[in-house]
Amino acid sequence: MTIYLGNLLLSLSLIFSISQFIISKKKNKLKFISITVNGLFICSFLSFALLIYSHVISDFNVLNVYQNSHTTKPLLYKISGVWGNHEGSLLLWILVLTIFNYLIFKLYNNNNSNFVSRTLQTQAIITAGFILFTMLTSNPFQKMIPEQSNGLGFNPILQDPALAIHPPLLYIGYVGFSAAFSMSVATLSLENNQKIPWYNYMKPFVLAAWTFLTIGIALGAIWAYYELGWGGWWFWDPVENASFMPWLIGTALLHSLIIVEKRKSLRAWVLLLSILAFLLSVIGTFLVRSGILTSVHTFALDPSRGIYILIFTAILGGYSLILFGKKSKEYFDPNYFALFSKEGSILINNVLMIVTCATVFLGTVYPLIIEAFTNEKISVGEPYFNSTVIPILIPAILVMGVGPLLAWNKEEKLKIFKKIFPSLLLTLIITILTFLIYQSYSFTGMIGVILSFWIISNNIILLIKKSKNYSIGMLIAHLGIGLLILGVTGSSNWQEEKIVKLKINTSTQINKYNIIFKEINEIKGPNYLAIKANFAVYDKNKNFITDLKPENRYYPISNIFTTEASIHTNLSRDLYIVLGEGNSNDGWVVKVYHNPLVIWIWIGALIVFIGGIVSINNNLKKIKI
Amino acid sequence: MKKKILIFPSILFFLVLSIFFYLLTIERNPYEIPSNLLNKKVPIFEARSLFKNEKFISSDEFKNGITLVNFFATWCKPCRDEHVYMKSFSNEKSVNVIGINYKDNPEKTVKWLKDLGNPYKDVLIDKNGKIAIDWGVYGIPETFIINSNGIVKYRHVGPVTNVIYKKINLIIKQNE
Amino acid sequence: MNRSILIKFILIITTICLTDLITNSSYAVEPDEILKNQKYELRARNISKNIRCMVCQNQSIDESSAPLAKDLRILIRDKIKEGNKDEEIYKFLTDRYGDFILLKPPLNSKNLILWFFPFIFLILGIYVVFYHNKKSG
Repeated sequence: MTIYLGNLLLSLSLIFSISQFIISKKKNKLKFISITVNGLFICSFLSFALLIYSHVISDFNVLNVYQNSHTTKPLLYKISGVWGNHEGSLLLWILVLTIFNYLIFKLYNNNNSNFVSRTLQTQAIITAGFILFTMLTSNPFQKMIPEQSNGLGFNPILQDPALAIHPPLLYIGYVGFSAAFSMSVATLSLENNQKIPWYNYMKPFVLAAWTFLTIGIALGAIWAYYELGWGGWWFWDPVENASFMPWLIGTALLHSLIIVEKRKSLRAWVLLLSILAFLLSVIGTFLVRSGILTSVHTFALDPSRGIYILIFTAILGGYSLILFGKKSKEYFDPNYFALFSKEGSILINNVLMIVTCATVFLGTVYPLIIEAFTNEKISVGEPYFNSTVIPILIPAILVMGVGPLLAWNKEEKLKIFKKIFPSLLLTLIITILTFLIYQSYSFTGMIGVILSFWIISNNIILLIKKSKNYSIGMLIAHLGIGLLILGVTGSSNWQEEKIVKLKINTSTQINKYNIIFKEINEIKGPNYLAIKANFAVYDKNKNFITDLKPENRYYPISNIFTTEASIHTNLSRDLYIVLGEGNSNDGWVVKVYHNPLVIWIWIGALIVFIGGIVSINNNLKKIKI
Repeated sequence: MKKKILIFPSILFFLVLSIFFYLLTIERNPYEIPSNLLNKKVPIFEARSLFKNEKFISSDEFKNGITLVNFFATWCKPCRDEHVYMKSFSNEKSVNVIGINYKDNPEKTVKWLKDLGNPYKDVLIDKNGKIAIDWGVYGIPETFIINSNGIVKYRHVGPVTNVIYKKINLIIKQNE
Repeated sequence: MNRSILIKFILIITTICLTDLITNSSYAVEPDEILKNQKYELRARNISKNIRCMVCQNQSIDESSAPLAKDLRILIRDKIKEGNKDEEIYKFLTDRYGDFILLKPPLNSKNLILWFFPFIFLILGIYVVFYHNKKSG
C-alpha cells in the first residue's frame, strides 16, 4: 500500500513538474501555474511524510526502511534517519525544491510575469530532473521481499542531533542557489530585460541560501569535532569541499549583488556567479553520490547514479553557460572602481573567493584527473589545502575588516587612514594584551589573533559610529566571522595533548588541571554495552571543576564499536578525555586534550547565521514581501 | 577577446565533466590502490619457514618459474573464503604458490592449514608485519604474481573471487 | 557543561581483514609508542600527519586507530631512532606504497599544475580586474 501510494505521489510530482515546465512557457496562465506549483508541493510533502511514517512505524516491507532502520532506534533518529540515507535524502531535496518553487511563485505580479514564468520554467526542469533521478535510480518506495521482522539496524555514529539537522540546512542552501540559478537563466533568456530588477528578486534567495549553507556546514563541523575527539573539525574531505565551494561562490555573489544594487555594475558577473553557485552544488551532489571517489561521507557506490547526475549537470550547465556566453553582452557595465573603496574591497573579495574556490576544486578533483590520465593514484590532503587556501584567505579577511568602513567612491588616502586608524590601534592593543596575558607565541597564532581582532575592532568602530548606512545584518555576520577566526586560531595553534597509561587512583596533569582517574565500570545502555570511566578534574588551586566520563561502547546489533569522549566546555577552552584500551592490572590508555577557544568557532558560526537571518528579514521588509 | 572569455567557462565545464564521465565508465575500484611494486623486482627479505627448518631467502627463490605469493592469516575471514582458489592454483604445474602468514600464531596456522588443506609450497612467517610493509600490503588477503625473472607483475587486494581467479590465470599464461 | 560525546571509528571495512581493530582496538598514538626524545617524537608526529592511513577514509596515521597505522607509526619512530632523515623515511614509504600514501602531494612534474595553479589563478584574477578597470577608467 505504502509502496503503491509512494510511487503514485512521485509520479504525480513528476507530472506536475513537467506540466509547470510546459505551461510556464505560455503567457498569462497564472491559474494553471498555481495548480502545478501547489500540486508539486502537496505531492512532495505527502510522499516525504509517507516515508517518515513508514520509518516511524518500522514498516519493513518498504526496502528503504528495512535497509536503514531498526525497532530499537530512538524515535528522533528514526525520523532523521529518513534523510540520512541516499534515497530518503533525495525526497528531502525534492521537498525543499518544491517549497522554493512556491516561494518563487509568490513573487508573481503583473509587471514581472514573464520573468517569474521563465524562472518557474527553469525551476521546473531542475525539480523534474531530481524527481526522475529518484524514480529511476534511487526510489525509496520499493518493496522488501521477503518479509522481515526487523531492519538492518543503523549506524549509531549517525544518531546525533547535529547530524540530524545538518542535511536539511544544507539542502536549503543548495536549493536557494537553484532559485538564483533559475532567475539568472530567466534574465538571460528574456529580451528587453533592463526594466526587471532581477537582482532584487534574487537577493533574498541568495541571502537565505548562503545563511543556511553557513549553518549547515558549521553543524557538520561541530558534529565532526565531537565525533572524532582530537580537535579536528575540518579535514578537506571531498564532500566537505563539495559544500564549501558553493559557499565561497555564494559569498562572492552576495557581495557583488550589493554592487549591482547600488552601482548598477557587475551585472554580467553576478549572472555568472548565480549559475556557478548552483552548478557547484549539483557537482557536489555528484561527487557524493556517484561513487567516483571515496570519502567518509559518501553514500553507497553506484556508477549508474553518477552517470545520470552527470548528464543532468551537463544539460543544466551546458544550457546555462552557453546562454551566458551568448547573451551576457547586454549586461556588461563599464565602470571604474577605485581600489580603496567599498567597491574595490568587494571586488578584491570576489577575486579571492573565486581563487579559493578554484583551488579547492582543483585539489579535490586532481586525484581524479591524474587517475584518468596516468592510471596512478595520488592523495591531495589537508597539508595541500592548508598551505594554499589559508594564504589566499588572509588578505580576504584583511579587506573584510576595512571594506565596510570605506566610501563607495574614491577617497583621499589620508581620509581613509583616519577612518581605519582607530581600529588599527584597537587591534594592536588587544593583540599585544593577549600575548602578554597568555605568553604563548606562535607565528600562525599571531596572524590569526590579529586578523580576528582586526575584524572585531572594525565592527566595534562601526557600531560606535551608528551610521544608518551600515546594514546591521552585515555587522553581525562579520562579527561572527571574526569570532570564528578567533576560535579557529586558538584550537589550531595552542592545543595541548597528553597521552598516558593510568591506573585507578592515579592522576595526570595538563595545562593547569589535575585529572584523577577515579573509577571504571561496565554499564548497559538502551542498545549498547559500554565501559565507562570517571575522571575528576581539579584546577591548580585544588578546586573541583567537573567529572569527565568517557565511554567505549559496543552496539551488538550493528556490530560497531564507538569511543565516546567526555568534554567540558567553557568560554576559554574545551577539556576532554578519550578512554583507550587497558585493564585493571596494567592500567588504561587515556588521552586528554586542552583545546583553547573552541566554542568561539560555534558561537561565531551561530552569530553569522543570526546576521544572515537579520539581513533576510530586513531585505524582505525592504522589497515588501 | 571578450567572446573567448565568455566561452571559457563552458569549455572548462565540459572538460571537467568529460573526465568524470570517463572515470565512471571504465572499470575501476576507488578503494583499490595500485601496487607500487608493479614491474619492479621482488622485495628482498628473509623469513622463517613454518614447516621447513631452513630460512627463506628471497634472492634465492623467485627464479624458478612463476610464483604466486599470498598474504593470509587464520584470523582473517576473507582469507578463508578465498582458500579454495589457492588450492586450485596449487594444482597448476606452472605456478609455485607461496603463503606469507601475517601477524599470526604459528600453531594456529598449522592447524588451520591441516583443516582446510595446505596449498602452499612454502609458508613464511611474518610475525610483526614487516615483510608485508615491504610488499606495500595494506589489507589482507593480498595476492601477487611474480614472473620467472623475479618481477612483480600483478597484485590484488582482497579475497580472490571468480573474476579475479580468471584474471590471475590469464596473467599466469601471459608470463609463461 | 558536562557532556558525553560520541567518538567514532571511521574505518570502512570492505573485504579487507582488519579484525585486529575489533578485538584489540588502539586509539591513535599510544603511550608506549611515544619516544622519550622530544625532538624525535615531534618529528615522528609531523611525519605521521603527512602519511595517509591506507585503510581509512582521508585520515593520517597520526589520527587513525587502524593496526596498519600503528605499525607505520612505530616504523617511523624506529627509523628516526636509527638516524634516518625525514626524506629517507618518506622515500621508504613511497617506495612501498606509492605517492598515494603522502597526504601532501610531492612537488614533481605530475603535480606542477596542482601546486602552481593557485598562484597563477590569483595573478590572473588580479590582472583581469585591473585590465577591466583600466578599460573603463
